[in-house]
Amino acid sequence: MLDTLIAGLLRGNVYALGAVGISLVFGVMNVINFAQFSFFGLGAMLAWFFVAQLGLPFGLALPLVIVICAALGLVINLTVVRPLAQFLPLAAMLSTYAVSQILDNASQIAFTAEFRVFPQVLPTSNLHIGNMRFGTSDLVMLGVTAVVMVAIGAFLKYGKIGQAIRATAQDQEAALQMGIPVGLVQHVAFVIASALGGLAGVFIALYVGVANPTSGLNTGMTAFVAATLGGLGSLLGAVVGGFVLGILEAFGIHFFGDSAREIITFAILILVLIVRPGGLLGKVPLISTEPLTGTFLGKGRPLRVPRWAWPVALVVGGVVIPLVAGDYVLTTGTQVLIYAIIAAGFTVTAGQAGVMALGQAGSIAIGAYASALLTLHSPVSFWAAIPIAGLIAAIISSILASPIWGVKGHYISIATLGVGTVIVAVIRLAVPQGIYGIPMPSWGDTLLATPRAYYLIDFAVLVVTLLVMWRIRGSHLGKVISSVGSDEVAALASGVRVRDYKALAFAVSAFFAGVGGSLLAHQYTYIDPTIFTMLMSLLVVTIVIMGGVSLPYGAVVGAIILIGAMELLRFTPELRIIVYGLVLILVVRFRPGGILVRNS
Amino acid sequence: MKPFTTSARRLAALVLTAATLATAACSSSATAGGGSGTDPVYFGVSSATTGQYAQYGQQFKEAFDLAVEQVNAAGGINGRPVALKYEDSQSDPKQSVTVAQKFVADKDVVLAFGDYSSAASIPASPIYTSGKLVQYGFNNSNPAFTEKGTEYQWSTSITTTANYQWTADYLKKQGVKSVGVTYLNTADWGIPAFQAFKAEAEKVGLTITDAEGVLDTSDDYRPSLTKAVAGKPEAFVHIGYGPDAAKLVTQLRAIGYQGTFYGGQDEKSFDGTPDAAGSIIAAQFIETSTDPKVKAFVDAFKQKYPNEQHVTLFEATAYDALNVAVAVAKQGGPTREGILKGFGEVKDVPSVIYGSITFDPATRRVQDPRLTPTILKDGKWVEYKTA
Repeated sequence: MLDTLIAGLLRGNVYALGAVGISLVFGVMNVINFAQFSFFGLGAMLAWFFVAQLGLPFGLALPLVIVICAALGLVINLTVVRPLAQFLPLAAMLSTYAVSQILDNASQIAFTAEFRVFPQVLPTSNLHIGNMRFGTSDLVMLGVTAVVMVAIGAFLKYGKIGQAIRATAQDQEAALQMGIPVGLVQHVAFVIASALGGLAGVFIALYVGVANPTSGLNTGMTAFVAATLGGLGSLLGAVVGGFVLGILEAFGIHFFGDSAREIITFAILILVLIVRPGGLLGKVPLISTEPLTGTFLGKGRPLRVPRWAWPVALVVGGVVIPLVAGDYVLTTGTQVLIYAIIAAGFTVTAGQAGVMALGQAGSIAIGAYASALLTLHSPVSFWAAIPIAGLIAAIISSILASPIWGVKGHYISIATLGVGTVIVAVIRLAVPQGIYGIPMPSWGDTLLATPRAYYLIDFAVLVVTLLVMWRIRGSHLGKVISSVGSDEVAALASGVRVRDYKALAFAVSAFFAGVGGSLLAHQYTYIDPTIFTMLMSLLVVTIVIMGGVSLPYGAVVGAIILIGAMELLRFTPELRIIVYGLVLILVVRFRPGGILVRNS
Repeated sequence: MKPFTTSARRLAALVLTAATLATAACSSSATAGGGSGTDPVYFGVSSATTGQYAQYGQQFKEAFDLAVEQVNAAGGINGRPVALKYEDSQSDPKQSVTVAQKFVADKDVVLAFGDYSSAASIPASPIYTSGKLVQYGFNNSNPAFTEKGTEYQWSTSITTTANYQWTADYLKKQGVKSVGVTYLNTADWGIPAFQAFKAEAEKVGLTITDAEGVLDTSDDYRPSLTKAVAGKPEAFVHIGYGPDAAKLVTQLRAIGYQGTFYGGQDEKSFDGTPDAAGSIIAAQFIETSTDPKVKAFVDAFKQKYPNEQHVTLFEATAYDALNVAVAVAKQGGPTREGILKGFGEVKDVPSVIYGSITFDPATRRVQDPRLTPTILKDGKWVEYKTA
């Protein structure tokens, strides 16, 4: 037991360090900073480069890494995050995702994707308590974390800028009126966070033994959960969250195995959030607006779609493309269409109800598995399986998500991400083998397995999806859901059961995610849990934000751009992801509310 | 009202341009003819040049390029040079299916290599099959790739099942009585491998004191490891890849376990991990082998890429694959039909991994693949001989 406790303390230390940076930026800017994850990998690779390649002493390499990460953080905040965060936190969040893609790939070009053996700078197993061995290296890491935390704590309490950071975190507008240079404060917070990210990255690599440019992602994600667990914006909370999560994870893995790690992590988070919706040490917000609502919708410059565009789009998408395009374009088209279906369904949750759910991969996976198992082991045909898969996805996702609707703001994003991740992890435990030979669609005796047939099926489903979404928006139900999104307090005051309508919107989105999953499964004819990743959930969210968050047809434009661009950029294989990231940033910069927005 | 309509027009123009570009990109490749005379023979490569698995994509590419150079210097395929078309799939099924479609539509491509992972290869298989283009999954050790595939799926990779049955037998032969096991809990690789190992261990009477499923995306294996060695097994087996084994063996030694480690992979980060020294695996390719074919390949590789200190199984796999593809094209003719025919007919293709390759047409894999016990010494795998 003591072994497990020590193992938990050591991993908790790394999480705590990462969580502090995330919490700090969130506190002053209200932005979830995905680029923070990249600093973990970047910090590790830079340290490896300085120590293993250039032969610098570790004592010199560590400050160098911190300075470089801090400087990069300043550049990113100056050029990308702050210009957007000022008026649209959500656009800023999307741009940090783009920045993280660019950073990861630049680091991969510089250092290659190889896993590198991290040099042993201090002994790692020269001490022991009972059977558990650990080293000076671990003690130094614990010590450094403690010193850094105390220093930052003192800075926030007594330093002038530190106090300004706290004031800004409490109320940005009030701080501005009191003459606090909020811009400067945000730069400082971002720089500190980036430096801490780099430091945490070095520690992760020291602890784990090997590193590559993307190896920070998983630990980063867990650090993010730790920050949420402790209460976003609370530094002490981040430290407590880190250690609590580290220790509970270690015991959880001991009893249930490493395969259950994600379930353990998110189960802890969801339980804590149900009991304390603001995290362990965070304050429960009395009145909070969802990140997607209010001013967000009003800011965009609308791009009105003329009436003639509808029949034209229908003819181009349904007749011209299938007639003219080759198989390659059609196959790309099927991917665009399926993601458009999933994303269009998601606009009810994200746009109308104003809930930034992040776990759509879970619902997609349920739909895919339900459809695959039904058509393989029962007489249900492909055509019947599509809506059934949607229903099953809607029912299971709703049941699983039902406890979390009391959670608000960014916490709901992390909680839904948790639900999605847990679904996929449970599937991995229940059906670990992939499913093969999923039947292709057929009509009578005709097999509809050509790219053109897939395209037309997907196109028809998309048209139905858009019609349904249009009907929902126009109906009384749709207006109620929208009222929840645009002003939750007003809706509550008018007697609308806010929680229930959020859950309903989520169920509708899960239905279409399940339909999309079913279509994917029958086209791939093979599925396994590695297909339904967090990146899949992020892609759905990105598509919706790109297209204009509350517009179902905007999702189609978003899918064309985000999936189509990946293919169009094949002419520059090395720089593909970097150019993709730049395109994303430019779009967000010039149309921060999405390509097509509608004024509320 | 005015600004809206102009921006709408701009948007329409943008969409149109994009669509035209896309169709143009597609049609230009689709219209090219079959070619003959001295036109190159094209093979497609679907692999990860960016993303999580880019490391392997880079290694494959280096070996492919070397092999192409050598083949062309020696006259190519009946006078026609060989050329490769690389497409990045990130080993993501969403992209590997579009890459497959691109190769199928491109009439110049007579064979497609890839993808790296089974989760990306298998979803692409139906497209290759219906396009009548052979998909040569040279790296796919998951038995399902060929078992569930059709006559268009071929592989020269040894199956995980065969590999870990051999490991269980070998442990028994070494007189080991009990082992602690960790295995990757992945559908396409670790689980079938562990099941094969477990079944064989039961058959030969090797005790598994504890088996823990782990994920290669985890960084900290200490909680699983303390549990796996709690029953004091004589030796430790890890069923997984190189980078996860590197993390795992470092942490296994850090918690104080001293028994022999049977696991890892001939992969750079594992080979360079100090605690990995003394690990034993069943090897297919041995860089330090005295076989003249292997020596010639290793020397040529290091000459072309002076920065590379090691040649691993990944480079060898790709190098072999290209040579097999060329032999197949010579046998059946450099067309899609010829390639399909050739795979069923070629015999005794020289190989740096197996010595020589002959396919078993029933399994579409290599007949009687040989495995050799090797031990990691000073960052290099050498044949492990026991008295």
